[in-house]
Amino acid sequence: MSELFPFKQVMGFVFSMVLTAVALGVYFFDMSFAVGMTVLLVTAFLQAGLQLVVFMHAGETEDKGAIYTNVYYGLIIALVTVFGTLLAMVWDMG
Amino acid sequence: MEFFERFAIPNPSFAIYASMVAAGITMIAIVAGLTYFKKWGYLWREWLTTVDHKRIGIMYLISALLMLFRGGVDAIMMRAQLAVPDNTLLDAQHYNEIFTTHGVVMILFMAMPFIMFFMNLVVPLQIGARDVAFPRLNALSFWLFFMGAMLFNISFMVGGSPDAGWTSYFPLADNEFSKSVGTNYYMIAIQIAGIGTLMTGINFITTILKMRAPGMKLMQMPMFTWSSLIANVIIVFAFPVLTVALAMGTMDRLFGTNFFTIDNGGMSMLWANIFWVWGHPEVYILILPAFGIYSEIFSTFSRRNLYGYKSMVWSMVLISLLSFLVWAHHFFTMGQGAFTNSIFSITTMAIAVPTGVKIFNWLLTLWKGKIEFTTPMLYAIMFIPLFTLGGVTGVMLAMSAADYQYHNTMFLVAHFHNVIIPGVVYAMLAGLTYYWPKMFGFMLNEKIGKWTVWTLSIGFVLAFMPMYITGLDGQARRLYTYSESTGFGPLNMVSFVGAAIMAVGFVLIVYNIYYSVRYASRDISADPWDARTLEWATHTPIPEYNFAITPEVKSSEAFWDSKKNGHVLFKGNYEKIHMPNNSGMPFVMSIIFFIWGFSLIFSLWIPAIVATLGIFACLTLRSFEKDHGHYISVKEIEDTESELRGA
Amino acid sequence: MDINHSLPLEYSTEENRLKIFGFWIFLGAEIMLFATLFAAYFTLYNRTAGGPDGAEIFQITPVFLETILLLTSSFTIGLGIHAMRLGRVKAMMGFFIVTLLLGLGFLSVEVFEFITYVHEGAGIQTSAFTSSLLATLGTHGAHVTLGFFWGLFILIQVKKRGLTPATANKSFIFSLYWHFLDVVWIFIFSFIYLKGMM
Repeated sequence: MSELFPFKQVMGFVFSMVLTAVALGVYFFDMSFAVGMTVLLVTAFLQAGLQLVVFMHAGETEDKGAIYTNVYYGLIIALVTVFGTLLAMVWDMG
Repeated sequence: MEFFERFAIPNPSFAIYASMVAAGITMIAIVAGLTYFKKWGYLWREWLTTVDHKRIGIMYLISALLMLFRGGVDAIMMRAQLAVPDNTLLDAQHYNEIFTTHGVVMILFMAMPFIMFFMNLVVPLQIGARDVAFPRLNALSFWLFFMGAMLFNISFMVGGSPDAGWTSYFPLADNEFSKSVGTNYYMIAIQIAGIGTLMTGINFITTILKMRAPGMKLMQMPMFTWSSLIANVIIVFAFPVLTVALAMGTMDRLFGTNFFTIDNGGMSMLWANIFWVWGHPEVYILILPAFGIYSEIFSTFSRRNLYGYKSMVWSMVLISLLSFLVWAHHFFTMGQGAFTNSIFSITTMAIAVPTGVKIFNWLLTLWKGKIEFTTPMLYAIMFIPLFTLGGVTGVMLAMSAADYQYHNTMFLVAHFHNVIIPGVVYAMLAGLTYYWPKMFGFMLNEKIGKWTVWTLSIGFVLAFMPMYITGLDGQARRLYTYSESTGFGPLNMVSFVGAAIMAVGFVLIVYNIYYSVRYASRDISADPWDARTLEWATHTPIPEYNFAITPEVKSSEAFWDSKKNGHVLFKGNYEKIHMPNNSGMPFVMSIIFFIWGFSLIFSLWIPAIVATLGIFACLTLRSFEKDHGHYISVKEIEDTESELRGA
Repeated sequence: MDINHSLPLEYSTEENRLKIFGFWIFLGAEIMLFATLFAAYFTLYNRTAGGPDGAEIFQITPVFLETILLLTSSFTIGLGIHAMRLGRVKAMMGFFIVTLLLGLGFLSVEVFEFITYVHEGAGIQTSAFTSSLLATLGTHGAHVTLGFFWGLFILIQVKKRGLTPATANKSFIFSLYWHFLDVVWIFIFSFIYLKGMM
């Protein structure tokens, strides 16, 4: 039975639950917007990285380089799109 | 009768009725012809169900040429309307419809499939592969594109044409200001074609990264393959943005949501923003493969290797990243502050740097080369000065403060035609001439070809240079007429003459095809241009499996090495070759998509739901299907090879 | 079909390797799809036009439930793939069934949540905020729904055909998809719900 529950994945799951609990802290505790956002950003990106490496086996083949490049490229452009849009449409819109 | 009224055209005219008759007669002629010559089975077996990248490529080419003429007719009508002041050839409504369809057709249904044609035909051959990574997906891509294009093209005959510009800005594009179903056509037809394009992007990235011939490292890929890889990377990251924008626009129009509306908190400017997040990378999707084609042509007809291979590659990688960082320059005047405009000004100007690197690399390839003025080379030579002019005016437009003067004037129209025509269209025509013998086994006539280049170039300069001047003088784009007192008349007349000369150029291309089909020699080698890359190393006509033996590669010019430096491309013996099976599924599924789109456009909910279920049924069937392709035996390969060598 | 036995079954043929790689590229496209939805949501989220805002309609209980259900299902699909690599078909199918049930549970809570929103006057037409909120959640939910049926079909194929290079390949690709939906949910959970309730 135990071979069906590899240590790495069980720990990954526990860690993701912990991260969820930490993120929930911004709801249950009173904190400033800046602190809250920092907590959310850190926990969300850690969770995403966890899924990618532990569960999705992103680095297990010879295509590791291309797969990570693809994900990082997507991530960079995604962030540019989100923040560029906010800049042009909200923050700097007269 | 009320049900049928929705399909009527809201703004009929004689020209539209004439087109309907012409379209009807053409359809009947095609059906009658296919039946008379008993070609239905041939059409189905060899074309509609094919998964062969070369045939799919040719179908892209045919679609692109058809759309080129549709878009070209739109262009001529616009220039004719503007040729003299206070002209009444077209009214405002028809002018709006025509500039809208001209833009959409030329960008999405002419330039895009033309690029897809080259990628399909050339990339697998250049990297020594048997086909693309997912041949059936490739067929689905084509058919989705094709059905999207057809859906868009029937708009002016059924229900009314879109008329909010190819950018379809809200609030003009919402239900209040665009009451006909025209803008629904825009949203849904482009959506269907766009899904196909996204799949192509995934397909070609996988093909190029995973299926190269043994020995071909990334930095040994021919330049067209590199440019295709980068263009497809941009496709994969840009097209989902368009998908979302169009879906939101559709929801606003059909389901009363409030993304881009004026009331209930909607934000019309957000459409412009999201549209250009896709729209700017899109222009690099078009231009990069064009650069790739020029690179092949410059190198082949200068009889030397491409200068600065590495800087060519890195400049394209840089362009691919920068292309996602500049979109706000399309709306400098929309109201965001100087800070934002400065950022986007700087990133925009920065793109000129890698582009300049490429221009100099081409010039230095010519330097000390043995230049041979063939038709493709003549296009490429014309491209450099004309395109550079367009690039320089681009840098002018990039300055956000100055852009307040240029914005939405004919100056802008002159600029983007000045980059797209010498940049993309010339590359497509040059590439078409260059690859024609590989596809069809005879060359296009060189003399007519060179006449065409000169005609097009003279026409181009006459048509678009005057617009820079009238634009700076304040002639706004998309206005259907102007008064005599503006003084725009004479220069617009020059533009019209230029457009007419360009039209002659395009007619010359058709004549050239006709002439060459009849008179050109069929006795040419498989490598008539004395070229350098692998696509010329196989037979003409290209066998189904491309290469009987997978070539081995040691440089970016493997074929040249085998001709001049004793490199052995094909080692070993024939082995049986695994090939994908044909399938009717992509065609059938795309037809269902067509029905789905048409039903949504006219808010016919029941057929829309049925078609949606049909699409899911196709996906389910595909999931359960077992299809592992077939093998071509060694005997068959031997027979084909000896026949092709003998011929 | 050349089968390379030194690799896990899902990677064992050329076709399989191409499909897994191609799917990764597709996930890159999906990143941009959801990024665009997020960009629109963040731009529009305080444009409520007199309708309810996030703090008024978001409730912690269903959100918490959805998160736990989806995170757990991501864990179980991972175990399913692990079991597949051990060649334990029964265990693999068990984990797949649990995953799909958890997915179904997630969808039920989400449907309940949507109905509640509509009852509270936060329908898709109410304001730019509700339009973009429901479009973002709905796109994710539609992905999960599609994934449910896709996973079900693969489960049936594994049951009927056993573990072959083809079924193993499909199962693995499905697991990538399912994990990715979990990643998207984490961002929805953090930057739509928690940020909205903060």
